[in-house]
Amino acid sequence: MSMLVLGLLFGVVTLVIMFSGMPIAFSLGAVGVLFMAVFMPASSLDTVTQNVYEEMSSITLLSIPLFILKGSAIGRTRAGQDLYAAMHAWMGRIPGGLGIANVFACALFAAMAGSSPATCSAIGSAGIPEMRRRGYSPGFAAGIIAAGGTLGILLPPSVTMILYAVAAEQSLGRLFLAGIGPGVLLVGLFALWAAFQYQREYRAARRRFDATGQASPLLVDEHFTMSQRFSMLPRVLPFLILLTGVMVALYGGYATPSETAGLGSILALALIAVIYGVWRVRDVAPILSATLKESTMLMFIIGMSLLFSYVMSYLHISQSMAQWIVALALSKWVLLAAILLMVIVMGFFLPPVSIILMTAPIFLPPLKAAGFDLVWFGIVMTIVMETGLIHPPVGLNIFVIKNIAPDIALGDIIRGIIPFVVLMLLTVVVISAFPSIATALPDLVMGPLSHPT
Amino acid sequence: MNADLPHVPVGLAAAPAGAGLHQHIDAATPPWLRPLARALITVNRGVMALGMLALLASALILTSSVVTRYLLHTSTDWQDEASVFCLVGATFLCSAFVQAIRGHIGIEAVSSILPERVNRVRIALVDVGCLAFCAFFAWKSCTLLHEAWAEGQTTSSSWAPPLWIPYLLMALGMLLLSVQLALQSVVSVNKLRPSLREGA
Repeated sequence: MSMLVLGLLFGVVTLVIMFSGMPIAFSLGAVGVLFMAVFMPASSLDTVTQNVYEEMSSITLLSIPLFILKGSAIGRTRAGQDLYAAMHAWMGRIPGGLGIANVFACALFAAMAGSSPATCSAIGSAGIPEMRRRGYSPGFAAGIIAAGGTLGILLPPSVTMILYAVAAEQSLGRLFLAGIGPGVLLVGLFALWAAFQYQREYRAARRRFDATGQASPLLVDEHFTMSQRFSMLPRVLPFLILLTGVMVALYGGYATPSETAGLGSILALALIAVIYGVWRVRDVAPILSATLKESTMLMFIIGMSLLFSYVMSYLHISQSMAQWIVALALSKWVLLAAILLMVIVMGFFLPPVSIILMTAPIFLPPLKAAGFDLVWFGIVMTIVMETGLIHPPVGLNIFVIKNIAPDIALGDIIRGIIPFVVLMLLTVVVISAFPSIATALPDLVMGPLSHPT
Repeated sequence: MNADLPHVPVGLAAAPAGAGLHQHIDAATPPWLRPLARALITVNRGVMALGMLALLASALILTSSVVTRYLLHTSTDWQDEASVFCLVGATFLCSAFVQAIRGHIGIEAVSSILPERVNRVRIALVDVGCLAFCAFFAWKSCTLLHEAWAEGQTTSSSWAPPLWIPYLLMALGMLLLSVQLALQSVVSVNKLRPSLREGA
């Protein structure tokens, strides 16, 4: 059988089984085993389970359940609302400050919890009603939260980056650091857009008031006294200390990424016990079981994706596809654009974890050959996958927002989100033009790599 | 603690519809399978409790590893592997519970466009397909376990713990998952019956 036919067959069978609605983990495993049975020596079937175990028993991968534990410990308390309330009090005076406070609260929460949907639900459940009460249009409020939530997979510690580090064999510490610059850039752009859109809505409300006398809550000034502002801090500071403490442990060379995950989750559990009194078995058990549900599902997808890519590479499908892409001799940027476009399309249907593990063996060799820095590409790919979380048809964050505010029409939410998707794609272009936005920080902290570009 | 916050999965393309954390017995379960369904719920509950302990244990082990290295200046050799065993064990053991609440996510894009009856057939086929794969995986895990036990295999580290420990957890987890899927397959196939009768 020619390589082309085999590759096509593999692709078609994968698509059919996946779109049958079979859970992603089992479909990847089933495709792998099926092709092993038909095209590989019979003995390879005997080592299937050993393969999966050996791939999964990596301590880096297994930091994922612990990072999820840390996130769900923080996410299950009122920490999100408190963080949001403090931000609001401190930024209330700036025009559009409420919207900006929401963006900042999302970014900080994302950095602590490492999950996009959890960020959306934690900040959004307080932020969206408050923004609407203060006269923000529902779509705008939803857009801010949906977009702010996506920062969860870009800012460290991000599950997506852990997988990319494993798949691309890049340093996890470097990847985490490389996400910070683009993350700050995105936060800045989101905040600017929030201020700009606020001005537009404010002026529209003012015109309406002048013409019809119809008052809008947007026109009401809001003030917080200094004592109100400072009274917000005690509940928020410990979490910010946790955030910096974990970073220092990781980059000060005191702990490996997995140790950081273990340490972080224990500290997060200790903090919520002290601050929110969440320490009884009946309080902590839901956090643990939600973590297990989440991480088991993810680890199964990861283990089976690795089996899937093992078969793909044993049958030389991934190598042939990679060689074929290299042989096309596309210009560097056309190649990058084509690959990112494919990532966007896959993002319609697949979670970032499977996209990374399924495509890494195919996409990374041509990108490397074209002279791209793979740490940098990890960041660009992550931002592109972030857009998949908020654009239709299956953007997960949209569902989360529908859950928090069921009365906002889907059309409104999507209209509110589109400017943010545009900003994210703009960020991709900016980072492509100025790669040092991503690579400068890791180079500074961990010493420069010899960049091929 | 705020119980109203919906808990949502990390970085997924689609939220599992209606997947809470509560197991229930499907109304279409045949009477002769109900004792098994009840037993599975109990077993899954017990296994989840074990998983929670394993999760906490691994976090504590890794934390102690950082602390002992920097306070007592002793080398750490067993911590990474011990927490790998805990987490791999928790992952495999809890997979049946996750399947029981249909928490393993898939691409559901097709289900919304299919007519009700065709969709039921699809679900039954998917469940039987999953069962076939998981049963195969469970069988191969058992042979792997047997081999590791009989040959006394250990990991290649200096601590060298026996490999049958994680393999046992993997085999038990996959067996439990297969039983869970077998039950769900019978239920899904059972659900095809009334619609067949309507067609006749």
